[in-house]
Amino acid sequence: MATPSTSTASSVWQRPWVRWAGPLLLVVVLAVMPLVLSEFANQTIARIGVYAVAVLGLNVVMGYTGQVSLGQIFFLGFGAYVTAYGVSNDWNIVLVFALACLAPAVAGLLVALAAARLGGLAIAMVTVALPIVGVPLAKRLSDFTGGSQGMSARFAEAPEGSGLYDDQWQLYIVLIIAGVVFLLTRNLVRGKYGRAFAIVKGNENVASSMGISPYRYKVLAFTIASLIGGVSGFLYMLVIQYTSPETMTFGHSISLLAAMVIGGAGSIVGSILGGAYYVLVPQLTNEVDPSLTALLQGALLLAVLFVLPGGLVSLPRALTRGRRPRAGRGSAAPPTTPSSTTGSGTAAEEPETERQGHA
Amino acid sequence: MNMHLRSRKALGIAVASALAVTMSGCGGDDTGRSGDAAEGAPSPGITDDSITLGITTPLSGATAGPGTCTVAGVTAYFGAKNAAGGVEFGDGKTRTVEIEALDDTYDPQKAKANYDQLKDDVFAMTAGLGTPTNRAWRDAAIADEVPQVLVMTGDPLFSDTAESPWQLGFVPTYLNEGEAFGELLASSSGDHKVAILSQNDDYGEGYVEGFKSAIEGADNIEVVDELTYEATDTSVDAQLTELAASGADVFFNAMSVTPLMISSLQKAQSLGWTPSWFLPSNTSSPGAILEPGGAAAYPGIFSVAFSKAPASPAFAQDPDVVEYLAALKQYGNYPDPPAFPHCQWSWMVGATLEQAFQNMEEPTRDSFMEALRSIEDFEAPLMLPDTAVNTTEEGQPAVSTVVVQKYNGRGYDTVQAFE
Repeated sequence: MATPSTSTASSVWQRPWVRWAGPLLLVVVLAVMPLVLSEFANQTIARIGVYAVAVLGLNVVMGYTGQVSLGQIFFLGFGAYVTAYGVSNDWNIVLVFALACLAPAVAGLLVALAAARLGGLAIAMVTVALPIVGVPLAKRLSDFTGGSQGMSARFAEAPEGSGLYDDQWQLYIVLIIAGVVFLLTRNLVRGKYGRAFAIVKGNENVASSMGISPYRYKVLAFTIASLIGGVSGFLYMLVIQYTSPETMTFGHSISLLAAMVIGGAGSIVGSILGGAYYVLVPQLTNEVDPSLTALLQGALLLAVLFVLPGGLVSLPRALTRGRRPRAGRGSAAPPTTPSSTTGSGTAAEEPETERQGHA
Repeated sequence: MNMHLRSRKALGIAVASALAVTMSGCGGDDTGRSGDAAEGAPSPGITDDSITLGITTPLSGATAGPGTCTVAGVTAYFGAKNAAGGVEFGDGKTRTVEIEALDDTYDPQKAKANYDQLKDDVFAMTAGLGTPTNRAWRDAAIADEVPQVLVMTGDPLFSDTAESPWQLGFVPTYLNEGEAFGELLASSSGDHKVAILSQNDDYGEGYVEGFKSAIEGADNIEVVDELTYEATDTSVDAQLTELAASGADVFFNAMSVTPLMISSLQKAQSLGWTPSWFLPSNTSSPGAILEPGGAAAYPGIFSVAFSKAPASPAFAQDPDVVEYLAALKQYGNYPDPPAFPHCQWSWMVGATLEQAFQNMEEPTRDSFMEALRSIEDFEAPLMLPDTAVNTTEEGQPAVSTVVVQKYNGRGYDTVQAFE
């Protein structure tokens, strides 16, 4: 089986059937994976899915639209609380899911309507308030939230007859919901709205002069980010099965932000890498020395940002650039990106070149 | 074109073989999933010569101080036992006890992840600190039938056998502490007016509920004013001013925030209000709170405890304390004098676990839970007189008795009566 593709590696990736086979292979791998991995591996991947979605939401408003949001964890917590409340009152799970998306989205919309009038750092300050208000609110509204003791909700037992273990069933649900969210978001940021977001991020005056209202698009991005945050909150309850005011402390919002920058701001794959970073690094540092986790995580964060200012997603590009200085742009795309070479190259590439300055 | 076809075929074969490999892996995936063990077979985490215990607790972040202690005490206890040959179990075998501790930074999500990671390698989970971090995986531990015992939370849920069959709390609940205050006050001969300030959450409510149930029916005690504050408040001056006006001679301050407690002690003095104070066990440290707060100005500062304070001169020569401090340094990876009572509590957890190990007849989690739930009036090392480990009382944590102590200018002395 001598494969002829070694000599023509770059051209193979541009063949149309490869563009289909890549995603197809990914789907097959994702479909089979939960069945073969150990319970702990499944649970870990499910957690990565939860935080990948949360980071993706943050990416929509920060990575793609350039508005600093430090409140993303609030929407995750809000979604988690809505889910926990709905489940504990035996509401239909589809209704619960819809509410877990909509309630944070409406909250995000209301905040954004006011906050997006402000520019630059002022919007960051407003979003700082969300987790700071959210924690005492969750403690205070103990009739709905269970107070500081939190709420448990187990609602994802594998159905009878499916032959699946709970962890496999949960991972399938996470993969499906997260997959749909990623696909929709990818389409959003690659299309008309994505270009508008990029222009608002680049220069608001230019955007205005082109008939793109920065205010409207900022509100839109923020609302979508809140909605995605709500989805991640639903997934959080699905996987962790417990929420408390601790879920949405401000520190976790900063961790999410760090995960986004480490994964790669303004990148779909970067969101997944960010989620993986958020979940795996504490586990890794725990293996090394459980009493030095904070120190090790800080060192790792600095190391990644020094070596890869564009985040982990720029690793393949950095490697190929070093080895083959003449490499074309298309072939240097991360191999895991489904069809990153297609369509509007400007929208996909622009945020990445700007990122160097912002990160 | 030819090349195109060939590479396509290559990919097809690659996909097919990848599928075949993964599918064949499906057959053997039953391993690693808990809950299917046969009756009487040894549980995970235990062999003929060793047993492994898991801990998830905050080792970094704001609660790292007490969290580190929860690991150090029990590690030191079993470190010393292992060095002496191990612990003899009820089934006749002698085993060494290993501890695997992971950091959860007081994040419930990480605590659950740590539990998932540990549950197949450890025999039981123990000693972890925090209410939300223990609640996060309580349901999962019940479903997996993994013991989650002698954990450091005052949440009564963990001591409710019907709700939590695989759990047992170690430290007294907030209710227990409030009750001890109430009982002492109700037994005093004089009449007292009580002002209450409490944190507006389950912490404050537990204290107040316990206190009130104990003074119920006592004619000499009258609660003259009762206010609350939020855990996030930066000042309680307004509440203190109002409470001072009530003329109470006893002030029950169920407050968990260290800086607020210090400023309360100072503020009441500047208002000219000098009642006797009742303080919760975790905000009554002589060095960190009472001295900066100027507590000497008050006729009495009362708190509760169940463990000997190693820093107190009264216990400096106590054999328990000497042994404990030496082991903590040598085996517990904790060279400094213990800054939090959690170190002592964790040491007692070790002693209580040893009791259960000695009585468990089979190397199974079921047998362990049975042995653990039948410990009566065990006076663990470092325990104060009149307190004991008692796991047979329904609805109570392993330690539910506390003694009231009075501040003597440097440390605390146990008192039998109010004033």
